[in-house]
Amino acid sequence: MTGSPKRLHIDRDLCEAHALCIEIAPEIFDLPDDDIATCDENPPESLWPKAYSAASACPRQAIGIVENLPSSPKGQ
Amino acid sequence: MTDLASSDYFTDGEIAQSPFEYFDHVRSRNPVYREPHHGVVVVTGYQEVVEGFKNSEALSAVNSIGGPFPPLPFEPEGDDITEQIEAHRHQFPIFEHMVTMDPPDHTRARSLLGRLLTPKRLKENEEYLWGLADDVIDEFIGEGRCEFLGDYAKPFATMAITDLLGVPEEDREEFRWVLGAGERPGTRVGALDHEPVGINPLEFLDGRFEKYLADRRREPRNDILSGLAAATYPDGSIPELLEVVRPATFLFAAGQETVTKLLSSSLRVLCERPEYQKILREDRSLIKPFMEESLRFDSPTKVDFRLARKTTTIGDVEVPAGSVVMLSLAAANRDPRKFEEPNEFRLDRKNSHDHIAFGRGLHTCAGAPLARIEGHVTLNRLLDRMEDIRLSEQAHGPEDDRAFAYEPTFLLRGLVDLHIEFTRSTQ
Repeated sequence: MTGSPKRLHIDRDLCEAHALCIEIAPEIFDLPDDDIATCDENPPESLWPKAYSAASACPRQAIGIVENLPSSPKGQ
Repeated sequence: MTDLASSDYFTDGEIAQSPFEYFDHVRSRNPVYREPHHGVVVVTGYQEVVEGFKNSEALSAVNSIGGPFPPLPFEPEGDDITEQIEAHRHQFPIFEHMVTMDPPDHTRARSLLGRLLTPKRLKENEEYLWGLADDVIDEFIGEGRCEFLGDYAKPFATMAITDLLGVPEEDREEFRWVLGAGERPGTRVGALDHEPVGINPLEFLDGRFEKYLADRRREPRNDILSGLAAATYPDGSIPELLEVVRPATFLFAAGQETVTKLLSSSLRVLCERPEYQKILREDRSLIKPFMEESLRFDSPTKVDFRLARKTTTIGDVEVPAGSVVMLSLAAANRDPRKFEEPNEFRLDRKNSHDHIAFGRGLHTCAGAPLARIEGHVTLNRLLDRMEDIRLSEQAHGPEDDRAFAYEPTFLLRGLVDLHIEFTRSTQ
């Protein structure tokens, strides 16, 4: 699968600042002063493996990857 | 040859000593397997355990500590027993604590505690932990030997949480006395004789923490307990005092046994693989992955329980409402479909941080960041102050025939004792 648009997402209600994502992929995730992680929603292709890694390590399952399926012509 | 799958996980003393053969065998049958003795659905596959944690809609945490004991206080009827669970919730062990709650109550309760022990906040307590580790080590460093659990891990874990939760100096002796005279909180949990945990074994602690938290509501200090005292629900409302007492009590009780187990199992590896002592001493950044691999390899909490509130599926197995489900963290962490050669300890394992020793999802261990710091501080100081750390042959046998005793429970995995010898570091 090449170039299928996808988006990284953090559930702010679930995040509890365990900060594993920041250790695994500091290029993508940040932990501001309010202790809820933020992320680059569209990281460069080369960083996606790290994004997946962070998502699967998140203790609270707060990191989601939304696969945006291209909308079909019928739906337009 | 006995068929391991037909053994009774909940009473078999040999399985409690060495659970991994049982888990491997059951997983090879089916990662979701109904065992024959108590009808418990045993989940041993990584994907399947994670799926179970995620499925809080159909799986209730009401029985998370006791599993099949005591038996359900009602006869499940139909494909949705939500109402029956709610009607009988107060009959389940430690029903007042977050660990057994379900959304939306759980979400509300957890919001008070969720960001209390973050790595960032704990940075402020790290200095204290370094000093504490040294003080405890000072007690036995001159001897050249120690029994690591009694001499270090237990006092360190107890004093760390006591200080962190702000138990005042003048009360500490009473804590030691009350908790030491009987069985420490949590030590009977998961016993192999079907004895359920008491309804609320933490009453003594509730009374004390009620006082400390009330004090902090009157006069906030700059400590973690004040953070809890001041916590509000997401809608801004102020919790009843008891609602902040419970999480404090539970953290206090839960944080000691498990940390002791984590510290001793990682030290066992350091003793058995002395090359790691040299490697970690020279490159301290490897202590972190070493601990994560220890957590994966010998998870202090072996299993967590759920009660199917609605008929659901896990993996490809139908799980009827009313089934007791055992999500095995320790088994998931040794699933060969997830971790290559899972029964080998590998420092350079790329995905060791995917382990689920602290659980996953809504109920994931809120104290995990604290456990990690305690491990980090301990391993660093042991490596600083001791060289040639080795197992006592007298206690654990010669190198080719070691013997270790684990506590006989189906819930937790921890060494009974760990006798070590070492050379005091001259630096």
